Amino acid sequence: MIKKVLIANRGEIAVRIIRACREMGIETVAVYSEADREALHTQLADQAICIGPAPSSQSYLSMENIISATIVSGADAIHPGFGFLSENSRFAELCEQCNITFIGPPSGVIASLGNKQAAKNTMAAAGVPVIPGGSNPVYNAEDGAKEADETGYPVIIKAALGGGGKGMRVADTPEDFKESFQTAQKEAQMAFGDGTMYIEHFVRHPRHIEFQIMADSFGNVIHLGERDCSIQRNHQKMIEESPSIAISDELRKKMGDAAVRAAKAAGYVNAGTIEFLLEKDEKFYFMEMNTRIQVEHPVTEWVTGVDLVKEQIRIASGLPLSYRQEDIRLTGHAIECRINAENPAKGFMPSPGTITDMYFPGGKGIRIDSAVYSGYTVQPYYDSMIAKLIVWAKNRSEAIRKMQSALGEVIIEGIDTNVDYQYEILNHPDFLSGNTDVEFIERMENGR
Amino acid sequence: MKLENMFKKTRISSRTQGHGFGRTMRPEVPEGLLRKCNKCGAAIIAEDVKAGYYICPKCGGYFRVHAYRRIQMVIDEGTFEEWNEDLTGGNPVNYKGYPEKLEAVREKTKLHEAVVTGKGRINGIETVIAVCDGRFLMASMGWAVGEKITRAVERATEERLPVIIYACSGGARMQEGITSLMQMAKTSAALKRHSDAGLLYISVLTEPTTGGVTASFAMLGDVILAEPGALIGFAGPRVIEQTIRQKLPKGFQRAEFLVEHGFVDAIVRREDQRKTLTQILSLHGYEAEKAAAGNGETGREDYRQDPADSEESVKQAAAEEGPSAFPHHQSLTAWDRVQISRKIDRPSGSDYIRELFTDFIEFHGDRNYGDDQAVIGGLARFHGTPVTVIAQEKGTSTKENIKRNFGMPMPEGYRKALRLMKQAEKFKRPVICFVDTPGAFCGIEAEERGQGEAIAKNLMELAGLTVPVLSIVIGEGGSGGALALAAGDEVWMLENSVYSILSPEGFASILWKDSSRAHEAAEVMKLTAADLYQRKIIEQIISEPEGFCQDNLKEVTDRLEPQIRCFLQTYTQLSEEELLDRRYQRFRKF
Repeated sequence: MIKKVLIANRGEIAVRIIRACREMGIETVAVYSEADREALHTQLADQAICIGPAPSSQSYLSMENIISATIVSGADAIHPGFGFLSENSRFAELCEQCNITFIGPPSGVIASLGNKQAAKNTMAAAGVPVIPGGSNPVYNAEDGAKEADETGYPVIIKAALGGGGKGMRVADTPEDFKESFQTAQKEAQMAFGDGTMYIEHFVRHPRHIEFQIMADSFGNVIHLGERDCSIQRNHQKMIEESPSIAISDELRKKMGDAAVRAAKAAGYVNAGTIEFLLEKDEKFYFMEMNTRIQVEHPVTEWVTGVDLVKEQIRIASGLPLSYRQEDIRLTGHAIECRINAENPAKGFMPSPGTITDMYFPGGKGIRIDSAVYSGYTVQPYYDSMIAKLIVWAKNRSEAIRKMQSALGEVIIEGIDTNVDYQYEILNHPDFLSGNTDVEFIERMENGR
Repeated sequence: MKLENMFKKTRISSRTQGHGFGRTMRPEVPEGLLRKCNKCGAAIIAEDVKAGYYICPKCGGYFRVHAYRRIQMVIDEGTFEEWNEDLTGGNPVNYKGYPEKLEAVREKTKLHEAVVTGKGRINGIETVIAVCDGRFLMASMGWAVGEKITRAVERATEERLPVIIYACSGGARMQEGITSLMQMAKTSAALKRHSDAGLLYISVLTEPTTGGVTASFAMLGDVILAEPGALIGFAGPRVIEQTIRQKLPKGFQRAEFLVEHGFVDAIVRREDQRKTLTQILSLHGYEAEKAAAGNGETGREDYRQDPADSEESVKQAAAEEGPSAFPHHQSLTAWDRVQISRKIDRPSGSDYIRELFTDFIEFHGDRNYGDDQAVIGGLARFHGTPVTVIAQEKGTSTKENIKRNFGMPMPEGYRKALRLMKQAEKFKRPVICFVDTPGAFCGIEAEERGQGEAIAKNLMELAGLTVPVLSIVIGEGGSGGALALAAGDEVWMLENSVYSILSPEGFASILWKDSSRAHEAAEVMKLTAADLYQRKIIEQIISEPEGFCQDNLKEVTDRLEPQIRCFLQTYTQLSEEELLDRRYQRFRKF
């Protein structure tokens, strides 16, 4: 069993991991940058080591410094958290070379899942649905139309060298195709000097549904249900919930099986997440696999009763999974709101500074994962998320009411936050009715 | 709220002695995985260093590179052929313990001596290369090092190949006494023969290059490059400090210091060296195919290679584009033109270089005192043909004006120009100068360093320079300061440029004791392009668009281009004798 863990991260996730270790009787080593001397994770861990100056490139991203700190502190494992080095296969490989247990999948798995096209091919081969098309270059409208028929309408026509929406068109029907293709190709030709195009099935108004996976090193893989993360702004998730209102028991089983197949195909070990796009007609497609613990893991923890971080450590210690698939049942409904130090009125500009006064709600069914305290200074160098507010109730509408009430109690003075913005989402009729997809925020902002 | 020590009761005190109980595999860093940067002290991953040109990924500091790795970094894979690999020397002064010391170093480094020589290809271009290896007695030069370099240079002369030497050395090898001293003369003599054969030598200085090596082959390159931050000097900094009992300034004897003081042409980062060496070799006429065919012929280019460049067509194009001898804006007064020639947004020398040439590489320094920022010079291609380009540069913003000393060259500026002209002569490429100066700098330092002598020397040397020289006055042609770059075969002027014995202000002040009468002086002085064309001081006038600035520079360069092609075609066909005679007569008539 692992005896001492170095947490190669900061903020609330570092605190979350320290707490899990403490409950398991495992010693903890925090690493911190010069800007994080006063940070909660630095103070809470049994031992803390400074690994460099404030910019993360010189501290939380410095593999050499973190490896050195691990050796010096005598830790036998590293928990990478999320972000920073968590999905860096080179770092995982370094850990392996130094006999340090990396709490996560093997480096080779991280590397192969990090390559999007290779991952897509692996999944397709394992029978996991992937977005049809997109693999054959097309040079003229005739060939394109054939390809489009095969992938199924609507299709999106993309320039091989594309970017910034240039050389990109959607065709809803075969009748539209020729014109859309020609326009897109002309644009591509103008913008990139190359008319090579790809045709892909277009997933309209999808939901972002992800499945939590746990796999041990004995080949056992289970899923822990889904999370609906459709409420996102510029691909940044804001609210996550489990279960998803859009998923029936039957679909859950189908998607869950696909997720397990995907993890097995990848040779996956430890906690991971399979991201799917879900269409209105219940068709779903593999997007990518995240090879780390996720920000939104608490919602899964609450509806399944599984402590994911503890389970990660057990698996990394070489123990088998503590649960079988039939042990996993989703009970009640959990919602998480990410609270960020940012100003929605100023284009979500980060708002670092000192928190002068603070109050967080409590009570039944409320969980706060945070690393800030009254007097704490939010640093400008790192991610602006300062807290996660998670609620649980026996069904979605009760959970929403609980979240509305809890958000109302959150007081953070001294810096700007997105609390009011979250409150606005929580009261939006489409959110209340569950009529959401990844374009929800855009529609909400346009509808003001 | 201070959190320090508030969480005491939750803390787990360390129960483990070192690492986990019963674990057989203790976490440890395997030998060689990490290393410490000897510059910034940071831990770095050894593989990153190897993959990244032996540069510290943290501080950007340069590690010393072993000779064979250096060859790997520069020479095309599989093309290096080593020469005299096992050549070794004796113990000429019977220095005690020297043979044993050599034996030990050989054992440790697996090298026979401190330099590796041979030939190989850089992007297909064949070249002789010698690389010093600092692990071997600090690459000091004894008989064997001197001999290997000499033989390599001699063979390069024989095979008509360029030579590249990566220098890195503590200097002469003390243990071999006076024999070592003789290596300095021997290597230099071999390089002289190589140079006299019209062949190119590129010296690359790396950390550290000192002593007898600096005072011989390292400083003799036609082109001298250096790695960033490399220590380069004759006497070592410690010796100097002890001798003069003074603390040396920061950056003293570093590569950047050497550039500033005129001894290094350019600093080239390691990752760019292959590219830069290829560019320089290629600009000297060494081409991949030619070298492969065993034809090391360099130098004079054939201006008629391109069928589109037939004599007729070029002349015709030149005539069509036509510089008019009669400026468009006849209504402007001389004083108007003086003002226009001085406008801050008027395109400057570097703008013309960018528009008219490709592959420009700037070479710095006069190899004597400094690098004058008011003169830019280097190598470039004009329609594929290598030329030497020299331009007086004022800059186009106040900040740059100051850096460039408002285009007023110091003596070292003229000496840099002369050095580059002489180099052009050696490699038989034409010289194109852009003249734009209020005058040579007038000040104490300029006099101390011989402003008059520097200009005079240029005039004399230009009279005998055996390659075509074209000068184009693009702004102000201020007196001797302009003439020093305009004593060639032809001088052209932009329509609103001026060229005179003195500034109108100076003229008015000297003759009329009233500098405010400058506008009057301008008329009297006959300094406009049209006046000078009439007096046969210049050969062509290039017309300018109205409101001439960066935005419409292309109109002017489009006019210049066929004219320059025509000039080059005409003048490169002349024999050296004809060329020099015409140039002599050009000034003899006045």
